[in-house]
Amino acid sequence: MPRKEKLLIIGGSAAGPSAAARAKRVNPELEVTLFEQGRFISYGS
Amino acid sequence: MQDIDVLIEHRVTQIDPQEKRIEVIDLSKSETQCFSYDKLIIATGGRSRRLNLPGSNAMNIFTLKDIQDGIRIKTYIDETRPKRVSVLGGGFIGLEMCEAFRSRGIETFLFCRRDLPAGNLEREISERILKELQESGVHFLPNQEPVAFHLNGHGEVTSVETTKGEYSTDMVLMAIGVVPNVEMAREAGIELGKTGAIRTDFSQKTNLKDIYTAGDCCEVFNLISQDWVHTPLGDIANKQGRVAGENAAGGKATFHGVVGSAAFKVFELEVAFTGLGFQVAKRYGFDAESQMIEAESKVGYMPGSKRMLIKLIFDQRNGRLLGAQMAGKEGVARRINALAVALHQKMTIDEISRLDFAYAPPFSAPLDPILIAAEQAGKKLHQERVHGDKS
Repeated sequence: MPRKEKLLIIGGSAAGPSAAARAKRVNPELEVTLFEQGRFISYGS
Repeated sequence: MQDIDVLIEHRVTQIDPQEKRIEVIDLSKSETQCFSYDKLIIATGGRSRRLNLPGSNAMNIFTLKDIQDGIRIKTYIDETRPKRVSVLGGGFIGLEMCEAFRSRGIETFLFCRRDLPAGNLEREISERILKELQESGVHFLPNQEPVAFHLNGHGEVTSVETTKGEYSTDMVLMAIGVVPNVEMAREAGIELGKTGAIRTDFSQKTNLKDIYTAGDCCEVFNLISQDWVHTPLGDIANKQGRVAGENAAGGKATFHGVVGSAAFKVFELEVAFTGLGFQVAKRYGFDAESQMIEAESKVGYMPGSKRMLIKLIFDQRNGRLLGAQMAGKEGVARRINALAVALHQKMTIDEISRLDFAYAPPFSAPLDPILIAAEQAGKKLHQERVHGDKS
């Protein structure tokens, strides 16, 4: 089996989580990791 | 969200586009780790601009960007019961926070560099905002900039010194703009645009292969000025994020751009705008003219009808709408969307004046305020054309 493709996302406010959700929906096989330096995500969307 | 690894308290410190990996610090353990990628999305957002003045690192000088800042401000108010707050900057955040501070019973001083709040908006709209602030008990201190903060022995600010005087205060909110977080991207060789935000295209790509960007850290295309601008707003970030995500996952999505719509509320006043302001339109080379009207939000005999201001900005050469700004206590924020659609469709003032809007007395007058504004603008446009033909 081929290695799963990896998507990394830097930032968890508005754009990052939207990107993560859409990417996963378009390609459920994608391995998605989101990095956020604060303690909360999706606080700006 | 399903099957997405979310690592909070993880700060990305470096992007290595050659090796296709990033360096990450786990802030809770102070451990550094590397992660490799096939595709990368930079959504590092923006941060509040801060003045670097004597005393500006006092513990009770705040900025407001995210939920943690909000919690900090709220906790400080709960614990120290400040009597006076100084808000620096009359943009969205400064104005909205004036309302928030007044609702906590705090005496509020708003300092602005210019003579009116919301200085990027049309003068008549800013004057209406000022009236609302003053009726709500906010002290407005125009035409001055802070030069220093004076602190007590505990490192707390006790007064703000400006170019015009010294004002005692128990806390300060700096609300003077947003700076895109681009340093890490720039170090990795990612190009910035002339605004200082990350340069991107209609598919949210950067200049580096397999690296995308979205949100307050990058630029966005303005459909009216046909220019790449920095407009750090949450709705744009969301839409750009979806496009970046889809394309990073192998899709072919496009983000076409924005016309520049936004709305905010100051106490009871709704303020909304779309497109370009008069001066900006001039700067972009349009032969701009404007028309300002006042109208009732409902038929006059309906209880609760409120006056609203509408200013339309249009091009005298072809009558095309370039922008619109509105302020009033009812029916403003939603009404602007009709004009946002008109901008997307490059409609003229005359076309707008003929639109068939829904009418019933509780919602508008038989001629909607937008139709009245477009009709008045049309009169000005056609008069000027006749005048132009004679000369």
